[in-house]
Amino acid sequence: MTLSSRRPASRLATPVPAENGSNGQRNSVVLGPNDRLVGELYIEGDLRVAGTVEGNLEATGDIEIAGAGKVNGDVTAYNRLTVGSDASLIAGDVRVARLTVADGAKFSGKVSMGKVAVEPSKPAEPEPVLVEATPVAKPVPVKPVSVKTEPVKPVPVKAVPVKPAAAKPAAVKPFEQKGKRR
Amino acid sequence: MDVQEAVTEGTASVDNGEVKRDGRKQFSMGPSDILEGKLIYDGSVHADGRVEGEVRVSGNIDVASGANVKALLEGANVTLKGQVEGMVTARDKLTLGKNARLSGDIQVRRLQIDDGATLNGHVRMGDFEQQASGQ
Repeated sequence: MTLSSRRPASRLATPVPAENGSNGQRNSVVLGPNDRLVGELYIEGDLRVAGTVEGNLEATGDIEIAGAGKVNGDVTAYNRLTVGSDASLIAGDVRVARLTVADGAKFSGKVSMGKVAVEPSKPAEPEPVLVEATPVAKPVPVKPVSVKTEPVKPVPVKAVPVKPAAAKPAAVKPFEQKGKRR
Repeated sequence: MDVQEAVTEGTASVDNGEVKRDGRKQFSMGPSDILEGKLIYDGSVHADGRVEGEVRVSGNIDVASGANVKALLEGANVTLKGQVEGMVTARDKLTLGKNARLSGDIQVRRLQIDDGATLNGHVRMGDFEQQASGQ
């Protein structure tokens, strides 16, 4: 459902890195003409959509809906949103700092512009948390010892963003087992 | 609000700001002009200076970059380069220039927003004629 399983809990306090890609370049996601996203996407970087999106998009950089791209959902771009001449954006809320709409584009929604309008956007979206919780089944048999001591924090060096979340659900697991025994 | 009302056939008296362009009438305002009230006009309007109230025209509306408009605007093609506060209806196309600042809901058939323009409001696009006929 969600391409990005990692979402900062407090986005306002999170500095927007100019470069956060693995190779030191600015992060960028491209959805091609045949690509389709149903769900929600948060990305620290830029997003280019030439395919179809049904759901909400949020990017700390630019969002471009290009070609015959279609987006049906709320859009938040901390910097610029560009809607191409053949593109379509049918939104509930559009929160952007800068906006460019080409003649011919389909565009509708409630537009809020300016930095003030963008920063207070904090709709409660617990979905990504659910995504992190689901893979708990795997780590439990691997590290049952970590439940008591919880030394999990130094582990995420392996760049697996899901692991920190495994600490809490792992602690929950034994309680569930006790319940079953009863 | 109803300080001044100019209706189609009576606008000949406003020969001060009226010019012919391509055979169509155009009501043209200067930077120091003030229009308060309701203007219904069979032609195009070039708005500058200060406008408050309501402007409905059969032709186009062009708001100059230095203009300060707090009014309902309705025209075929509406081009905004200045500051506008109020609902805007473009039966064909609405263009927001790079220095345009629009605060209000808009209803359009086509929309172009240049980089640098500011918009705060609800955008409705598409089946404009059906909605207009219902009014």
